[in-house]
Amino acid sequence: MRSATVLLLLVLASFSVSCGKRSKATSGSSGEVIYAEQCASCHGAKGEGVDEEYDEPLWGNKSPESLARYIHKSMPEDDEEAVVDEDAEAVAQYVYDAFYSPAAQARNSPPRVELLRLTNNQYRQSMTDLIGSLGPQTRIGTERGLKGRYHNSEKMAKEKDFIGERVDRLLDFDFGKGVPMENMTQQGFSIRWTGSLIAPESGEYDIRLRTHNGALLQLNSFGGGGDEDAFIDAYVSTNNELQEKSRKIFLLGGRAYPLHLQYFSYQEKVSSIHLEWKLPHGVWEAIPHEFLSPQGAAPVTLVQANFSADDRSRGFERGSAISKEWQEATTFAAVEIVNHVVANLEQLGRQRKKNYKEAGDLRKLCMEIAERAFRRPLDGEQKAFFIDSRFEGAKDVESAAKQSLLLILTSPRFLYPGLADNEGAPDGDTIASRLALTLWDSLPDEELCKAAREGTLQSTGQVAAQARRLLEDPRARIKTREFFQEWLAMDEREDLGKDGKLYPGFDQRIVADLRGSLETFVEEVVWSEQSDYRELLTADYLYLNPRLAEFYGGPVPDGEPYAKVAAPDGMRSGIFTHPYLLAANAYHDNTSPIHRGVFLSRNVLGRLLKPPPEAVAFKNEEFDPTLTMREKVTELTKKDTCMQCHRVINPIGFSLESYDAVGRYRTTDNKKPINTVSDYVNDQDEQIRVESARDLAKLAVESEAAHRAFITHLFHHLTKQSTEAYGGEALDLLRGTFVDSGYNMQNLIVEIATVAALHHEEDEAVALSTPTP
Amino acid sequence: MIRRNFLRDLGLSAASLPFLAGLPSLYGAEALGSRKQRLIIMFTPNGTLPGEFWPKAGPLTELKPILKPLEKFKDRMLMLKGLSNRIKGDGDGHMRGMSCLLTGIELLPGNIQGGSDTPAGWANGISIDQELKNFLQKDAATQTRFGSLEFGVAVPDRADPWTRMVYAGSNKPVAPIDDPYQMLNKLYGQMKDRATLVGVLDDVRDDLKKISKKISREDQRAIKDHMELVKAMEEDLKRAGDRKLVHPEPELDPNIELVNDNTPEISRMQMDLLVNSMANDMTRIATLQYMRSVGQARMRWLEVEEGHHQLSHEPDKNEDAQEKLLRINTWFAGELAYLVQKLSDTPEPGADGSMLDHTTVIWTNELGKGNSHTHDNIPFLVVGNGAGFKMGQCHDFKGAPHNRFLMSLAHSFGHELKSFGSEKYCGDGVLPLG
Repeated sequence: MRSATVLLLLVLASFSVSCGKRSKATSGSSGEVIYAEQCASCHGAKGEGVDEEYDEPLWGNKSPESLARYIHKSMPEDDEEAVVDEDAEAVAQYVYDAFYSPAAQARNSPPRVELLRLTNNQYRQSMTDLIGSLGPQTRIGTERGLKGRYHNSEKMAKEKDFIGERVDRLLDFDFGKGVPMENMTQQGFSIRWTGSLIAPESGEYDIRLRTHNGALLQLNSFGGGGDEDAFIDAYVSTNNELQEKSRKIFLLGGRAYPLHLQYFSYQEKVSSIHLEWKLPHGVWEAIPHEFLSPQGAAPVTLVQANFSADDRSRGFERGSAISKEWQEATTFAAVEIVNHVVANLEQLGRQRKKNYKEAGDLRKLCMEIAERAFRRPLDGEQKAFFIDSRFEGAKDVESAAKQSLLLILTSPRFLYPGLADNEGAPDGDTIASRLALTLWDSLPDEELCKAAREGTLQSTGQVAAQARRLLEDPRARIKTREFFQEWLAMDEREDLGKDGKLYPGFDQRIVADLRGSLETFVEEVVWSEQSDYRELLTADYLYLNPRLAEFYGGPVPDGEPYAKVAAPDGMRSGIFTHPYLLAANAYHDNTSPIHRGVFLSRNVLGRLLKPPPEAVAFKNEEFDPTLTMREKVTELTKKDTCMQCHRVINPIGFSLESYDAVGRYRTTDNKKPINTVSDYVNDQDEQIRVESARDLAKLAVESEAAHRAFITHLFHHLTKQSTEAYGGEALDLLRGTFVDSGYNMQNLIVEIATVAALHHEEDEAVALSTPTP
Repeated sequence: MIRRNFLRDLGLSAASLPFLAGLPSLYGAEALGSRKQRLIIMFTPNGTLPGEFWPKAGPLTELKPILKPLEKFKDRMLMLKGLSNRIKGDGDGHMRGMSCLLTGIELLPGNIQGGSDTPAGWANGISIDQELKNFLQKDAATQTRFGSLEFGVAVPDRADPWTRMVYAGSNKPVAPIDDPYQMLNKLYGQMKDRATLVGVLDDVRDDLKKISKKISREDQRAIKDHMELVKAMEEDLKRAGDRKLVHPEPELDPNIELVNDNTPEISRMQMDLLVNSMANDMTRIATLQYMRSVGQARMRWLEVEEGHHQLSHEPDKNEDAQEKLLRINTWFAGELAYLVQKLSDTPEPGADGSMLDHTTVIWTNELGKGNSHTHDNIPFLVVGNGAGFKMGQCHDFKGAPHNRFLMSLAHSFGHELKSFGSEKYCGDGVLPLG
């Protein structure tokens, strides 16, 4: 606020003098006329400023009254008497409304790519990759499970006799009074498991050990592997009782974390060991084998500082709020990371700390980090500022390095990725920076930097090829997964719990399974070769595990956690009928055609719905108890003002009435047969008969508005910018290629990344200060 | 992995800066009207040589060879002969010696097997230092930033009943920190971070200023807001930095590797930090654990090549072993003398006399004698006048349970426990030490 005021005073104080051609204002003219006659020659027709005259644009947040007083007293500079009193007021009001006020600015300024800071997620990802880039990169192979080495123990020798080695799918063992492997003695044995844990999404994980014996778990340890850096220490048992020890950890998705578990049983009757977790939206379970690898991994640097949530006022997270909390959080995170780097150079893949006594090595390290963090090589001035000036004359090189790194990591050049962009047509570094941010929420990797350096990141073809490569990386998979969570509003309802009497068996376990089923479905479709958006809408199958198959009916699959099975009722159509979404958009004791209708018309069919003109709550007890849900909703929304929107919402909801509050197929509601037939009004005001989920899917497949909604949601999620900022036709062009590609979603992601990477807008500041011809 | 609660440890909340945190006592402010009292328990392993350690009961006139380094503190010393660690049950002698030493209670049955006896788990109760920590932390007048600090010297990196003597409660062992740099960071890390931060914030603003000139006016708002926030933080930190410590942070030689052969240097560094942390009133309770029970330290700096535990098993008639054990125990006494000297050289902040006048230092061991593994005649040596015991004495308590001494310590702090640890050994109450 204060800075804006300062700027305004500056603007007002330096209204320039140069032309004496003006005559007195025609008294009583409109503000617009006076402005054109008396002011525009110096300030420009729209207040944009005139070179050589007064080149600062007229904008600020003074009131019209205050502007009027100033004009009355001091304007025009060469003839203060020319505009006074009511003329000054009129011109002030005109200036204020036309271009001076913040509201006018917002109205006049065309959508543009904004300078945004890293979102919290982007910050965490960038920091992790920045520090991770110092050492060897982990590539996890396809083998799953953990490698176990089995020994017999004798007294204090835990690993007395080697018995065998194998890869265990799960660590979910109740050995009872027996032994884990042939030739082992029940008297005393030990097992040492090694490998890594793969996090499927970003968030807070709970990790748990349950054992009757002794166990010590190391997870993502930077230490030497001793007891001190144990993640969970359950080494000493008591009375052969079951110990249960858990701990929370924030993990970034799509990455592998080194894991090491020592386990032993000694003179104990009962033996057991369970390694379990609770995913951010899950329930306790043995860590499934697809998230365990027998291969080791380098430890991952994680930012542990807490951040307050990013702005979501436009429906997607973006780094627009520059708050005190954010500035503190990033500063303290930088301190945390700098201390971590200096303390763990060796574990981060660098020489032993001892060898860093030489300033040269540490200088090189700082330089490397700066270039990665700033997403382009440093120029001479920057090198002097960020690196050399810290080391020159420093009595302690470690402190010098800490200062240099802290300066780099708190620099706006790291925090605002847009600052890495060059002026004019984007160069290789700009393109690399944008691609990595769009597809990974992170920094360019070595290969992108190399392409930028070698000048092979320029043509649309080259950029698209790199985008395709980036898309194969787990980070892009995670970002895509997060998009679907957002588009399908999967996290909006945290509690899907239902009335236990009406829906027995629909417990937290089933809810977690359903979420897994939906995510599996989406991923199978997106990452298939066709990657066909229409498949998401029309698929006539479900992914079920044995528990879900039992609850929803149908053949019980075995093998993989989720198997593709023909829908038990033969009545499914992709996301329209996935039980997770049907249950999420329903009451705890009944369906909700309105919730289902609003969600699908907004997010999937791309209809604009205004907020309701009056708030009406659905109160079940106020209706005739013999009515069906459809009848109740029809009654509730019958007013004309309601029907403006409900003629769109209700038919969608009614066509899904054959699915109860937990998404099971049904044919009656309140003992009456279900009627799913109604007339939907499309965006061309045409009435279309719909009677099933299949009809809804057909609407979406054929609707331009639906395509646009999907593309826009995806665009926002990937770029954090509005589509309009990339030119009025960007969305149409994207839709064109989307349709031509057979609705290929992978292709669409590559297209969006390419458009954003190659975007080049005229420098607005330049455009504004150019004199009007 | 980075410590998860980093910011919480620094006391960060949305409203306050982390580097400003810290109780007033961090800065050595003296609580008025109460006499400050401290406790330090130093542990060394594998038993002593009774003949070279224990004097006759009565006034302390002449010290035995092991205690020669403490000669000048004779009048401020108290030796407690004849105390027995009577705790029986699961676990071998070393385990119970260690884990029952400060807890006075049995071990839980468990899965850790020693060289003899039955396997065992952790101790089934709190240790006396933690009991007193809780007692002092309950009262605002005696509360300190850490409550207690657990120092270690050359403690092997393993968590088992031979390696833990401090317990926050039943089944809750507390690990000592045996890395002086880690301890320094715990004590002073946030102040150093603050200094580094203050050193760069001004430049961060310069950087922002440079950038703000180059970008379009619509984008300037964010950068300007950012600049204001950096400035505010800088001012806050500078204000906080104006507060001074009573005793400056100790300077540690930054090049000491944590290896066996550097134990003498590490020992001194830890003691410097210990005295400094108490001088700045960051804690009033500390333990200092050398190695561990059954520890096999090779004290090459004393020209002893054999492992300590192995030597301690040698029979009395092995003169070479006896001579080496004498060297080892005398070295430990010398370390104690360094600690005591430092306390006696440091004036008590805000009061008359030295810190030693307000501190009780105890030197103890898990065994009475190494080769017999006896729990009788456990070495308990007290230096300093914190507890107000009558000094310059050697008592012989003829087999009294050591629980009674642990109770005496509590009473000296005004914490009048009826029993401590296993009740059956507390019937006769505190020891007559007045």
